Amino acid sequence: MEKLFRFDFVENNDLLIVVGLIFSILVFATLLFFIVGKIKPSANLTELKARTKSWWFMATLFIVATVINTKISYIAIGMLSFIAFRELYSVLGFRDADRRAIFWAFIAIPIQYYLAYIGWYGAFIIFIPVVMFLFLPLRIVLKGDTNGIIKSISSLHWTLMLTVFGISHMAYLLSLPEIEGFESGGRGLLLFLVFLTEINDVLQFTWGKLFGKHKIIPKISPNKTWEGFLGGLLSTTIVGYFLAFLTPLSGVQVVFVSFMIAFSGFVGDIVMSSIKRDIGLKDMGNTIPGHGGVLDRIDSLAYTAPVFFHIVYYLAY
Amino acid sequence: MQKLVLNIIYSFLLRGFLKIFVGVKFSKAEFLLEEEQFIIVANHNSHLDTMTILASLPSKIIHKVKPVAAADHFGRTKLKEKLTNFFVNTLLIQRKRDKENPENDPINKMIKALDDGYSLLIFPEGTRGEPEISQPLKPGIAIVLANRPKVKYVPAYMKGMGKAMPKNDNLILPYNSVLIYGKPSNIDNIETEQILSQIQKDFIDLSNKV
Repeated sequence: MEKLFRFDFVENNDLLIVVGLIFSILVFATLLFFIVGKIKPSANLTELKARTKSWWFMATLFIVATVINTKISYIAIGMLSFIAFRELYSVLGFRDADRRAIFWAFIAIPIQYYLAYIGWYGAFIIFIPVVMFLFLPLRIVLKGDTNGIIKSISSLHWTLMLTVFGISHMAYLLSLPEIEGFESGGRGLLLFLVFLTEINDVLQFTWGKLFGKHKIIPKISPNKTWEGFLGGLLSTTIVGYFLAFLTPLSGVQVVFVSFMIAFSGFVGDIVMSSIKRDIGLKDMGNTIPGHGGVLDRIDSLAYTAPVFFHIVYYLAY
Repeated sequence: MQKLVLNIIYSFLLRGFLKIFVGVKFSKAEFLLEEEQFIIVANHNSHLDTMTILASLPSKIIHKVKPVAAADHFGRTKLKEKLTNFFVNTLLIQRKRDKENPENDPINKMIKALDDGYSLLIFPEGTRGEPEISQPLKPGIAIVLANRPKVKYVPAYMKGMGKAMPKNDNLILPYNSVLIYGKPSNIDNIETEQILSQIQKDFIDLSNKV
């Protein structure tokens, strides 16, 4: 029981500050929408309220899973990959002949997370991009149905890369070796990554809603504007600078990595938007009220996680 | 005893398995508690269909709902018959009518189960079809409903099951799928054709909702 729940994060001021910050933002948003709703009953806040409510749930779940016990986090992040993979492959329209290969793609999920857990970097980094990349086509080819095989091979591997390989970098952060004088460790890095990615989504959305005029990529996402993008980029970078204590990086490095998180988060978002547009869906599902499916929430993380990980890995480890 | 076993299997084990692993989105079935007796009429694409519907039922009434299944498939041996009857709570019928032997006649068997107080689960498409393609409905359900017009039928529609576990494949894969229920209704008419088109229309309405 002692092992299951580690409350040492209470003694680690750095983590505690951010956990406090997250909940203050949520309290602020909840109060804001409640008051605006009272003052201006005509404003349609149903979606924003549903989103905030879901944020409460997700933030609590995330903090419980990551900060309190790292072992649970590997499983929780793995579950996230599993749900996202299932969500995406379900709408991509695979053939019956691909079912055996899809089965192996599912098997790859626990293996990838186990490699992250034991911290075997070399295997972790090649398992999906090399091993699965070569193996899955073989399994599809053995079925002998060549009609539409290119689409099957490529979309299966792409789905696996995005939802499993990308997301699993979050888990590997927890397996990074300790650095002397940097107490928050992997948990701090993970908290930094997730907080910055999500706050970037929120900030880009808010800037866009308040000042958005010039559409940035109207064919894919009519709601995205230059004002939202640049405002989000700038404000996320500033937020990142003040959270530098969660990372082992220097000031300049943190600014750079925060900028990259904001930028790649935007890219992940529009990539997933274009996929949804192609299939003709608005959201990937309705698992999370106000947000859509799980994938709608973590699409930017699938991009920010590997980008953040490899920059930090290069700079600090 | 059987009630307890069914509750553990369906309300607990299978519901968890279908929800978390397969990714089935259940719609609430609590409204069925208000009906004394009903016939669930569902589309059929997969062996998971029966499991999903039973798992969606409120645990209080699971043992009162008998899935109607083909005897030639599930009752091939005495042991298989006993096991399916116990663990799936099935009502096994033969596919063809039997005029000479009224006790063995599928319609009579279903009506008798209704008279005994059971509710039924029927797949009027008969056998499992291609995913998301509906097949013509068999008249049996209409004859039963025409004979017991007071019993309400409840349309149920499932999407994605045939992808999670298609015909001719025993491998279950996770696949985001949905089960939704329509409103319990009485038949408007006792003509077989009309009843079937009424049910067909319910299926189409539900399929547009998912």
